[in-house]
Amino acid sequence: MRDALSKILVRHGVSDSSVIVLTGDHGYELFDSFRSQCPEQFINAGIAEQNMIGMAAGMAKIGFRPYIYGLSAFIPMRVLEQIKIDLAHDALPAILIGDGAGLVYSHLGSSHQCTEDIAATRAIPNLEIYSPCDSRELDLCFSSARESKTTAYIRIGKADRGEVHSNDIHNWKKGDLIKVADADEEANAVGTLKLAFIATGSMVRTALNLKINSFTGAEVWSVPTLKPINRDQILAISEKIRTFVVLEEHSVFGGLGSIVAEILSESGRSNVLRIGIQDRFSEKCGSYEYLLKEHQLDENSISIKIYRFTSTTA
Amino acid sequence: MTIFLKKFAPKRLRELVLKMAFNGQAVHIGCAFSIVEILAVLYRRFLKYPDNDPNSKNRDFLVLSKGHGVMAQYACLHELGWVSDEMIANYFADGSILNGLSDSRIAGLEVTSGSLGHGFSVGVGIAYGLTRLNKSQKVYVLVGDGELNEGAIWEGAMFASHHKLSNLIVIVDENSFQAMGETENILNLGSTSRKFESFGFEVKEVDGHNESQIENTISKIIEENNPLPKVIIAKTVKGKGVNFMEGDNKWHYTRLNDKTYKDALDYLNSSVL
Repeated sequence: MRDALSKILVRHGVSDSSVIVLTGDHGYELFDSFRSQCPEQFINAGIAEQNMIGMAAGMAKIGFRPYIYGLSAFIPMRVLEQIKIDLAHDALPAILIGDGAGLVYSHLGSSHQCTEDIAATRAIPNLEIYSPCDSRELDLCFSSARESKTTAYIRIGKADRGEVHSNDIHNWKKGDLIKVADADEEANAVGTLKLAFIATGSMVRTALNLKINSFTGAEVWSVPTLKPINRDQILAISEKIRTFVVLEEHSVFGGLGSIVAEILSESGRSNVLRIGIQDRFSEKCGSYEYLLKEHQLDENSISIKIYRFTSTTA
Repeated sequence: MTIFLKKFAPKRLRELVLKMAFNGQAVHIGCAFSIVEILAVLYRRFLKYPDNDPNSKNRDFLVLSKGHGVMAQYACLHELGWVSDEMIANYFADGSILNGLSDSRIAGLEVTSGSLGHGFSVGVGIAYGLTRLNKSQKVYVLVGDGELNEGAIWEGAMFASHHKLSNLIVIVDENSFQAMGETENILNLGSTSRKFESFGFEVKEVDGHNESQIENTISKIIEENNPLPKVIIAKTVKGKGVNFMEGDNKWHYTRLNDKTYKDALDYLNSSVL
């Protein structure tokens, strides 16, 4: 996905000279191609993120299209107020790219891990939120953000979990969920759990694995746009399926789980199990996989939660 | 009634500020009064708005980073015909559009500020963008000396200096006060001039209430056009123009009543300023 990001930036930069990529001294090697092909369109603004956002706003006001890159722990978290006042308030068409979202920086601790950004940005008006799961969705999100008339935040999590989509995505509208797996035929058999996995970013891969290995009666939906989101589509799914399992590498407060629960609370039809970070910082250091386990986001822990949940709600 | 021959006459601007502050029972009078002459000179002499269009692509930019002084800017916009008598009369009325801090949705205001340290960076971005486009417009950023507490200001100063943004003219309203007291007793910056000098700015100091001095200084730095960002440290008096407000920080917060409003207008009208 990182390679895809580099290519997307080059493509956008080459086709539109008003595109300016800004970074707060992050993204080693990521910008090599961009810098060689669009040298005049790259700014390392230094380790000075607040100024970088304000500056990007100033540039957007006179017609530039800023693409502002940083780790999600900093862009958007460190500069939330600059995003609110300088960019979103004026609906300036800037794209914020928050890389390494979730637990990606598992060895570096809480300063670089980021599991609160969706909750923090969701309440800001005029701000779209994207969360692609693979390189095809990444492309989709950038195209959508590029055409948008307002500020967009693209959240990029664990980038090496493989491609979810095997074909290009067609007929997608901003806000739509994308079905990435149907329930298996035998799903109607007695005893098979009928579930809807609703997942975003890195957790779409996890949802697919859970479906294949344990929950064949589940359908799997990927959510590349968290804001706006197609409410009708979620309500339509709830007409057929009672149990929603929402997965995200983000706090269970204010992220996709909350979004889905808010929408479904109006229908009163479905039960929602929110799988995410349980309002805590990481305790230990270790590999990405280790930290997923610590936060009970590994497939085994999630399966246990689902069985427990369905046994009490069925 | 006084007849003002000169557009943007400071006395007229202060009178409008008092009207707004009284009508709306608004605060921040002292913050507005210290920048009246600076704004008067900028609007009268330097800011160009082709076709009197506040959104002209070829305009100069005035970024009021210290959004608390916005009433003085509204008074100038009134002189330009962009703010109406009715808006002055209905300041802070329910459903009105002029907020107590700068809001970019108002034609003529470039930024939403009041949360401090924002406008400086936005101004730096505009100046940088204009430089890249080889445009000759200037960007004036008006900051308060209290606002210099904000770290983002110095981030912006580093960027402006590194990229030699010679079209950026920062004006510091150095009235020596911030919300809770004197700046030197809160976070003492020492010499503002030396700070900016060390950040790579061309620095000038002026009496911020002396219009000809402000005008000559800005003319000179534009004419000389050194390849550096510029800063003008304007020594000002918070509450300038009304005797009982001058240097008294309570006029950051205090609202006018019938008596203080009348006293203020009387003093203003009797003064030569």
